[in-house]
Amino acid sequence: FQKTPEIYSVELSGTKDVKKTDKGDGKQKYRGLKNKCSNFRKNDQIEEIKEELDLDDHKLSSEELEKRYGTNIITGLSSARAAELLADGPNALHPPKETQRLSMMVAQLCTFYGIDLVLGSGSLLSYVLLIDSSPITQVYLGAVLALVVILTGIFAYYQEAKSTNIMASFSKMIPQQALVIRDAEKKTIPSEQLVVGDIVEIKGGDQIPADIRLLSSQGCKVDNSSLTGESEPQSRSCDFTHDNPLETKNIGFYSTTCLEGTATGMVINTGDRTIIGQIASLASGVGNEKTPIAIEIEHFVHIVAGVAVSIGIIFFIIAVSMKYPVLYSIIFLIGIIVANVPEGLLATVTVTLSLTAKRMAKKNCLVKNLEAVETLGSTSIICSDKTGTLTQNRMTVAHLWFDNQIFMADTSEDHSNQIFDQSSETWASLAKIITLCNRAEFKPGQESIPIMKKTVVGDASETALLKFSEVILGDVMEVRKRNRKVAEIPFNSTNKFQLSIHETDDPNDKRFLMVMKGAPERILEKCSTIMINGQEQPLDQSTAKAFHTAYMELGGLGERVLGFCHLYLPADEFPETYSFDIDTMNFPTSSLCFVGLLSMIDPPRSTVPDAVTKCRSAGIKVIMVTGDHPITAKAIARSVGIISANSETVEDIAKRLNIAVEQVNEWDAKAAVVTGMELKDMSQEQLDELLANHSEIVFARTSPQQKLIIVEGCQRLGAVVAVTGDGVNDSPALKKADIGIAMGIAGSDAAKNAADMVLLDDNFASIVTGVEEGRLIFDNLKKTIAYTLTKNIAELCPFLIYIIVGLPLPIGTITILFIDLGTDIIPSIALAYEKAESDIMNRKPRHKKKDRLVNKPLALYSYLHVGLMQSLGAFVVYFTVYSQEGFRPSTLIGLRLEWEKHSVNDLEDSYGQEWTRYQRQYLEWTGYTAFFIAIMVQQIADLIIRKTRRNSIFQQGLFRNKVIWVGIASQIIIALILSYGLGSITALNFTMLRAQYWFVAVPYAILIWVYDEVRKFFIRLYPGGWWDKNMYY
Amino acid sequence: MRRQHRSRRAPTFPHGYRYRLDDQDEANQNYLADEEEEAEEEARVMGVPNLEEKEKEEEQNEEEEGQGQPTGNTWWQKLQLMNEYLWDPEQRMSLARTGQSWSLILVIYFFFYASLAAVITVCMYTLFLTISTYMPTFTERVKPPGVMIRPFAHSLNFNFNVSEPDTWQHYVISLNGFLQGYNDSLQEEMNVDCPPGQYFIQDGNEDEDKKACQFKRSFLKNCSGLEDPTFGYSTGQPCILLKMNRIVGFRPELGDPVKVSCKVQRGDENDIRSINYYPESASFDLRYYPYYGKLTHVNYTSPLVAMHFTDVVKNQVVPVQCQLKGKGIINDVINDHFVGRVIFTLNIET
Repeated sequence: FQKTPEIYSVELSGTKDVKKTDKGDGKQKYRGLKNKCSNFRKNDQIEEIKEELDLDDHKLSSEELEKRYGTNIITGLSSARAAELLADGPNALHPPKETQRLSMMVAQLCTFYGIDLVLGSGSLLSYVLLIDSSPITQVYLGAVLALVVILTGIFAYYQEAKSTNIMASFSKMIPQQALVIRDAEKKTIPSEQLVVGDIVEIKGGDQIPADIRLLSSQGCKVDNSSLTGESEPQSRSCDFTHDNPLETKNIGFYSTTCLEGTATGMVINTGDRTIIGQIASLASGVGNEKTPIAIEIEHFVHIVAGVAVSIGIIFFIIAVSMKYPVLYSIIFLIGIIVANVPEGLLATVTVTLSLTAKRMAKKNCLVKNLEAVETLGSTSIICSDKTGTLTQNRMTVAHLWFDNQIFMADTSEDHSNQIFDQSSETWASLAKIITLCNRAEFKPGQESIPIMKKTVVGDASETALLKFSEVILGDVMEVRKRNRKVAEIPFNSTNKFQLSIHETDDPNDKRFLMVMKGAPERILEKCSTIMINGQEQPLDQSTAKAFHTAYMELGGLGERVLGFCHLYLPADEFPETYSFDIDTMNFPTSSLCFVGLLSMIDPPRSTVPDAVTKCRSAGIKVIMVTGDHPITAKAIARSVGIISANSETVEDIAKRLNIAVEQVNEWDAKAAVVTGMELKDMSQEQLDELLANHSEIVFARTSPQQKLIIVEGCQRLGAVVAVTGDGVNDSPALKKADIGIAMGIAGSDAAKNAADMVLLDDNFASIVTGVEEGRLIFDNLKKTIAYTLTKNIAELCPFLIYIIVGLPLPIGTITILFIDLGTDIIPSIALAYEKAESDIMNRKPRHKKKDRLVNKPLALYSYLHVGLMQSLGAFVVYFTVYSQEGFRPSTLIGLRLEWEKHSVNDLEDSYGQEWTRYQRQYLEWTGYTAFFIAIMVQQIADLIIRKTRRNSIFQQGLFRNKVIWVGIASQIIIALILSYGLGSITALNFTMLRAQYWFVAVPYAILIWVYDEVRKFFIRLYPGGWWDKNMYY
Repeated sequence: MRRQHRSRRAPTFPHGYRYRLDDQDEANQNYLADEEEEAEEEARVMGVPNLEEKEKEEEQNEEEEGQGQPTGNTWWQKLQLMNEYLWDPEQRMSLARTGQSWSLILVIYFFFYASLAAVITVCMYTLFLTISTYMPTFTERVKPPGVMIRPFAHSLNFNFNVSEPDTWQHYVISLNGFLQGYNDSLQEEMNVDCPPGQYFIQDGNEDEDKKACQFKRSFLKNCSGLEDPTFGYSTGQPCILLKMNRIVGFRPELGDPVKVSCKVQRGDENDIRSINYYPESASFDLRYYPYYGKLTHVNYTSPLVAMHFTDVVKNQVVPVQCQLKGKGIINDVINDHFVGRVIFTLNIET
């Protein structure tokens, strides 16, 4: 019976496969890195890296090394020399200096404000110097504007800094100690003080404190996973084995862990000059892409600036042609531009984002960079790790095979219900083997901890078996005690089995029980019988075939399969006193009784399949990128739905149609499993094609460097890419990704530094929650901006009318600021609490170029529809106030010049009454207040209509979002305070307004509401129609 | 849903494995049936967008990208794109809309704005229905009355040299012009002579024309300009007329007419040694109140009080404050220097 390559049989600690690929792609593993280098702009960095890769320390003999680094292998460096060398810099990674700057978005808005300020002060200057006779007000106004700009800037910075500070706690590293030989003495020093040429000693469990060239080694094995992504331990010796410094065995890398053994080495690189250091600094060299939200804000700023400038220029021309002096016209122009700046928006957007960030932190997504909150929402491709993210990151027994049947074990997180048939005699025997032939033990003192969470001493497979048996059988230790172990052969890679001999717990049975587990085919070789339903039966062709079928089936599921057998040693040959010698093997190791197979896998987290389905329906492509074996990767991908059950890979089709893989039309397959080997042979175009044409892709056996290539490929397709990662080596990819997601538990500090987000529970499902929040915030920001923009028109129109028609100014700048930064702030933040209108996880991710935050319909509808209605409503209130006080509209027209003259103190109104300047001024302030109240009242309606963009308010529920009502209350309260509380402070330009004026704008508010309901009704009635296209924002 | 369903059912089958395989297939097929379409759609979006979309996209792409590269070539491209955006001859589109689309949108906006205009017209109309044309609804902002002086030429500083007529001639012209409406002949012709010391109340409908009381120029005696056509400016004894702002319905306290009194505002009180007031009572007679508004009280002439500064220190700036005194008069509002008082300076050079 041929063993097909399909089967992935992993021997315990076997490294055959891994080794093969290691040798195979040796250099190429870093090819990606090197290739990428050329793309980075920082040329010196490239040079440095190249130089590093030309490192030849591993080729030198100890003597040559001593000479080069001026050290002595026996006595080490002298303290004086070390101190001298330490001046070059400590042996620590330079922290990236990314945190202490304003993010792109904030900077963007700040520039906007800057323009505001410059223009404001410009107009101020001209006022002061040339025109106005009361410069005090203008200076005061300028100061207020400056204050506003500075305060909102500080506020935004504070918000950002606050969320960054959460991260600070992560980067605190436990100070490492290193055992170093200096002045011929062994000393323990903080590893930061290591210098090149130091002789260090490491032992199992230590982190390698710098890049070292090994000088001697006793069974030293290192875990290079953070560097190369290989999870298998690598042995280290002092022999030069490979030209490539990264592959040779005599170099140990900074930050990797020594798993076992001891070694002595010479430090050849420290700090940022180490390989890891360079990769980490490479990460900071990867261009910090603008986040989608920053792009959107920029776009928004462009729109608003465009509107402002064009209106400004139009009115400049109008003013000039109306024979206003040019200087006046320029001031009008500046005034219009300033009036268009939404002063409150920066504060609102940052608060909204940080609210969401907080909400996400509660759901285990810690957002480092505020803007990343939204980025996750626009993600269209997620490149996810397998281990730990999609899976539980622990081996678990998944299937059993005995009595010619495959049984499924519970692989959920708590193993709560094992439902397979446990009545068979065979199971009893198998259980005994599992229990006894196992060296793993629980660490003591964990009685109160649930079994699945207990810490175990032993390797992954044995741990899985121990926990499995503990759950089913109860106290394993007790069973082992009752069956005293008399001899044992631990697993090694040559015999590929593990064996132990025990006394039985039956006092009448004096036989010894020999139990054995190992690679299934090896175990089967040693067997002559097989246990079926508790009866030993001869192992014939048919049973052997059944075995192979089962083995293949389990192997095909990507599971690690183990075979189990036992033998009761006859009491006459092996009396109680018999002494077993494991070296001579004075006991039979053949003609055993085969009992069963057991397969293990790192099972997917139970929440992941659901999350993947959600991603699917949300139009997000989930790509698995793993260093693991393709078969395992594919199996996990299938079980979590990354490869859906009915889609096939090229290989599947070939197998189904029974043709060669080459004959299959590549594009027939929806799914693809690509190995790192294949990936490195692909051209850029091929990769693009692959990414574009397969909806379900699994990358297996990839190095972390290749992740970067994959990310770039996805980005070339125009996708917004989220990448998960934990190793140092992932950091360039994390940086490159639109949103890098680091693992909070497994992640290294470098990864967390490079990432925009940290998953506190390492769980893929949390990403999906994050996506949901991100999408919601995008929608809600749209609403917020629409809400904010609307009143801009109501604030701008008065000024335009003032210029053209010559009415007394309906609303003053200070009053506008009180709307922008007073009454409107809380309501616009309240919109962030709005629930989604429909299932946002059922629509596609937004298109970067098409689905803008601020699109044409939004701007048009806000400015030309609602904004205009608001202005009209406000003007009605304004005219009401003036008319009732004596100035009818007909009188007001063209009155501006006379009205503003300080010397005219007997200006006649429509009734022949005469007004002093101050009386008029006071009336003007009353007008401001009335206009302010009118805008406020209509903004309440605006707030309510902005709750939804498509659904009726009644579908959404008026009272579901309580914060909206807090917002409305705040608007009214602030207005009441301003009018009645502060109405006597002249500097604020508010007056006590007659109560009835508060209600004049109410019909307009209702009109706005009704109009918007009609708009939404038609949108719902004719989805995709003309109205929908032009009126849906 | 499906998946949960399966896992809930699974425990009832002891031989779970076989069951699982079958069921999973079935389940997946079902739930994928609707997903397949979506996936395909997605693939289309990701891979080969259909032609229409692509074209638009390109346009947008280039629009966006152009900003990043400030080379001459892209500027030219941008210009071309802009041009194409303004008028695309191929698709006969201007600003990304066809003529039909433009007319549709214009019609819609026309109707929208027309109805808005209608709404506002109705609103303003009803507003004016509630407001009387004859009487203002509220007068609290214009009360208490303000005060203004004549002659007035943009400035409240009277600087003139007695010996140089050019420096005071404009005051005289201004006063003469102002007093034209007070000419005795005109007053006698237009207005009635009503009894002094009491309100001139005219009951009747709001819209009835009201009669006005005479205020003759001759009441101002030496300051009338009749005897001294230079109003005393030529002798260094300037006349300044004081006028109280008209307020509809304003009535001074009965029996206690509003009086005017002037004094040096700051400095030596003796800088002004004597002031003559005309009419001699230095007050506004009650018969000029109340005022009924300019629509019906057409010929109303505001009463005046003339201050004749007969003996003022020369060649020195003298700040003068004239205040109204009487019940219901406020003359100490900090911010308003014209309510119930007026402050001006005299600087008479010889």
